[in-house]
Amino acid sequence: MKKVRLTINGRAQQFVIDPKRILLDLLREDLKLTGAKQSCDRKGQCGACTVIVNGKAVRSCLTKVGELDGAEVITVEGLGTPQNPHLIQEAFVLSGAIQCGFCTPGMIMAAKALLDEKTNPSVDEIKTALRRILCRCTGYKKIIEAVQLAGRFLRKELTPDEVRPDPNGPKIGVNHPRPSAILKACGVAEFSADVKVQGAAELAVVHSPQAHALIKSIHTAVAEKMPGVIGIMTAKDIKGTNRLKVVVADRPVLCDTTVRYIGDPVAAVLAETREQAVAAAQAVEVAYEPLPVIKSPTEGLAKDAIQIHSDQPNLCYSQPQIRGDAEAALAQSAFVVESDFSTQMNHQAPLEPEVCVSYLEEGDEGEEPTLVVIGRSINIHFHLGMLQGALGYENMRYEEAYAGGQFGIKIDITSEGLAAAAALHFRRPVRFIPSLTESMYLSPKRHPFDMKIRLGADRQGKLTALAMDYVVDNGAYLSAGRAMVFRALYMLSGSYYIPAVKALGKLVYTNNPWGSAARGAGPPQANFALESAMDMLAKKIGMDPLEFRLINSLKPGQPKSTGRVVEQWPFPELGEAIRPHYNRAKREAEDFNRKGGPVRRGVGLGTHAFGISMSGDSANVAVELEPDGGLAVFAAAADPGEGNDSMFIQIAAHLMDLPMSKIRLVTRSTDRTTATGPAAGSRMTYMVGGAMVDAIQKLKSAMAEVKATTYDQLKAAGKPTRYMGTKKNQDAAVTIDPTTGLGPSFESEVHSIQMAEVEVNTQTGDVNVVKVTTAVDAGTVINPQNLEGQLEGGVDMGIGYALREEYVAGQTKDWITFRFPTISTACEMENIIRETPRVKGTLGATGVGEMTMVTTAPAVTNAIANACGARVRHLPAIPAKVLAALGKS
Amino acid sequence: MQMRSLAGRDVFFDSEGFLVDPSQWSEEMADQLARESGIGRLEESHWQVIRFIREYYLQNGRAPLHRELKKGSGMPLMEIEGLFPGGIKMGARLLAGLPNPRSCGM
Repeated sequence: MKKVRLTINGRAQQFVIDPKRILLDLLREDLKLTGAKQSCDRKGQCGACTVIVNGKAVRSCLTKVGELDGAEVITVEGLGTPQNPHLIQEAFVLSGAIQCGFCTPGMIMAAKALLDEKTNPSVDEIKTALRRILCRCTGYKKIIEAVQLAGRFLRKELTPDEVRPDPNGPKIGVNHPRPSAILKACGVAEFSADVKVQGAAELAVVHSPQAHALIKSIHTAVAEKMPGVIGIMTAKDIKGTNRLKVVVADRPVLCDTTVRYIGDPVAAVLAETREQAVAAAQAVEVAYEPLPVIKSPTEGLAKDAIQIHSDQPNLCYSQPQIRGDAEAALAQSAFVVESDFSTQMNHQAPLEPEVCVSYLEEGDEGEEPTLVVIGRSINIHFHLGMLQGALGYENMRYEEAYAGGQFGIKIDITSEGLAAAAALHFRRPVRFIPSLTESMYLSPKRHPFDMKIRLGADRQGKLTALAMDYVVDNGAYLSAGRAMVFRALYMLSGSYYIPAVKALGKLVYTNNPWGSAARGAGPPQANFALESAMDMLAKKIGMDPLEFRLINSLKPGQPKSTGRVVEQWPFPELGEAIRPHYNRAKREAEDFNRKGGPVRRGVGLGTHAFGISMSGDSANVAVELEPDGGLAVFAAAADPGEGNDSMFIQIAAHLMDLPMSKIRLVTRSTDRTTATGPAAGSRMTYMVGGAMVDAIQKLKSAMAEVKATTYDQLKAAGKPTRYMGTKKNQDAAVTIDPTTGLGPSFESEVHSIQMAEVEVNTQTGDVNVVKVTTAVDAGTVINPQNLEGQLEGGVDMGIGYALREEYVAGQTKDWITFRFPTISTACEMENIIRETPRVKGTLGATGVGEMTMVTTAPAVTNAIANACGARVRHLPAIPAKVLAALGKS
Repeated sequence: MQMRSLAGRDVFFDSEGFLVDPSQWSEEMADQLARESGIGRLEESHWQVIRFIREYYLQNGRAPLHRELKKGSGMPLMEIEGLFPGGIKMGARLLAGLPNPRSCGM
């Protein structure tokens, strides 16, 4: 032990402490400061724990307290509070630089260290100062802008009040700060690991090292006697079905007889400290009898393949789509391209680990206690039902904490089943903070697709037919896998009119990590093949890729691949909007390439019409007029970073003509909210926002009917103060035909055309994305910064998907091996926004959250092909694949 | 998903027999579904539960928790479970026209 004197946030303190204790643990565990975050297993990879020590930004997870005697430490809490924020915190809020907020404290502290030295840094200096801090949401653009704005504040060129929109002014189309942003900027928004639970025991899980095996025995005797161990839980201790059912009840909370992928949870250890739990988990001995491992869909479909689930064939879903005679059309086409493409398994990569807290809350006398789960769900009512069935316990409540990123991963339960089962079994409050590697084990992945495509056109360049077969590696458990297959079919023809279509999607169980939703969920994979083929076909015809796309645009009155005729299709206007930028980029590329040398510049396009609101979708929201004239909005509308809080508050204030401060959102607990479906599928503004509009209209109608303008008048007139609003998809109960794939499609679309400008080093295969320009039409824009934030974050994620990222089971264990995009790899971005009001939109708005991800990868690989002729067909386009495509293996 | 003609209108049911659109529910529909499920004629005790669940759903946008159902209906949970084949979740809620608690819409 050693005595260490520190001044932390201006307060001198002394600690008698293990000198090896790291500063992050001192701050979070001893001082209960929640600003500094932990994501990367204390490897210094994420920077979310950055604080200032003696004027320098340091990663507190790498800093030993014993080396800090006499040091001055400043954390984000030491800068300001929500009531009295620091100028840098205000700049981050006002720039729209805060989405999920998990990286924000680290970003702000690194920015402060920089701005303390230099209040007018260049972009390169900002990038250098912030280079060690990762962000998954923003694409870093608005973070750089926030630092620049903070510099202007500090230089007294501008004040926050001059930037902040008038809260009493217009509500729609204005960058009103997100209500949650200031809490995140000040480090006081509580994520699951920040929740203080008295006496919480810590959970650690035993994961299978085998991809497919029978569990022959689990020996816990040694582990049970280790220090601090409270107990060890196996499948037999779970009293419910022990199955987490999304569509099929195939995924166990804890495996009972069989493990089906590397990382499957087998046992859980509860101990007084996390270190004790982890140590005991390593001492649990599991004997396995290996089974044949299905490594790919091809192996899974083989005649003699072992069946991974006894009650489900390995081919667990297939869906064709047939419209017209595609074979005949292709045979008669003047031009046809044929190729195969594949996309990789990928991790959605939210920064926050898969944390969960669970405890039993005592009820009234004679009542059984309530099992409370605090976690990262974006569909709390559905997940509550899953947990009730799996654990065999009815009296439960789910509370959504602030969540550090989503991107589809939170459509499934991960840590919640284990934490809640342990809280119930051991009757102790439980905290489960899995490591980053464990979080990757526990969570679903983006499905890999293998695709074969044929695309034809006539002599005029008009598309004639599309044939596409794709096989999807489902991994070990089904989850929402079927949706990936049919969502790809619902949007198969993208932006275009294609007269004949013949497609078949197959979903196959394997012993790989299980797949589920990931930003875009199906279309990013299928559209990579379509948009690559579009460029290949344009080249074969000899047409410009932009012209080729525009002459093939679908038009109102024409059908998509499902046969559904569309009413609105504002895609050609986007093409015209991007045309000047496209011409500029082509000129610059030609100028660049004229100089010669191994680095070649290219320009590539990707487009899509991304569907919002699938057939059968519905949402409901309750609103209640409150005695002070304010409005409460009740809906389980999760906001893991997209800005749903802004959307609700700005729309409600606009419609009710109320100050935004009088709109109160109740969204986080199953006890108090409507079950309004997942915060997924880019559906929140269109569906849940639309349901809120309906509820408000009902309230206003009731008030108008009795001429009430206040709560008291409405009550006095005998009218209810609470109203339920709904929004239903026009196809309440219709899905595509199982044999033809024809029928409905999505009710609305967000249109995009994206242009990537890249430089390819033809000697090394390295690709540098110089700039991405996104032209988008998502209808009415509620909050421009939130829209841009989705676009920019999606582009950055799309570039990572295109060039670097891949989840390889057993090898990808942290942010380095995942190749997480950094501020150094972030490119210049420009947005072109058009607003065609959607007929059925929420105040004319549709969704936008996933769309940019869908078009980026093909835009980048098309740009690579344009630069140097290398057609990369298998993502990610790492240098070796670029070189191979150039014939330089 | 299947469409059936029930109580004078065409309605869609999911694979577990739940109404796809809760707003299509009617008391006549509940009566007919009850007969098909083997309950026979719905008694006042059944209606007490069904009406509470239905009204709670329309007001709150979700099914009542068991403790809320117990308090609201004034009946012990075990008695309610026994009244409906499938119990509260898959029986009473089905007859009250609530969405399938096990459906995620995918």
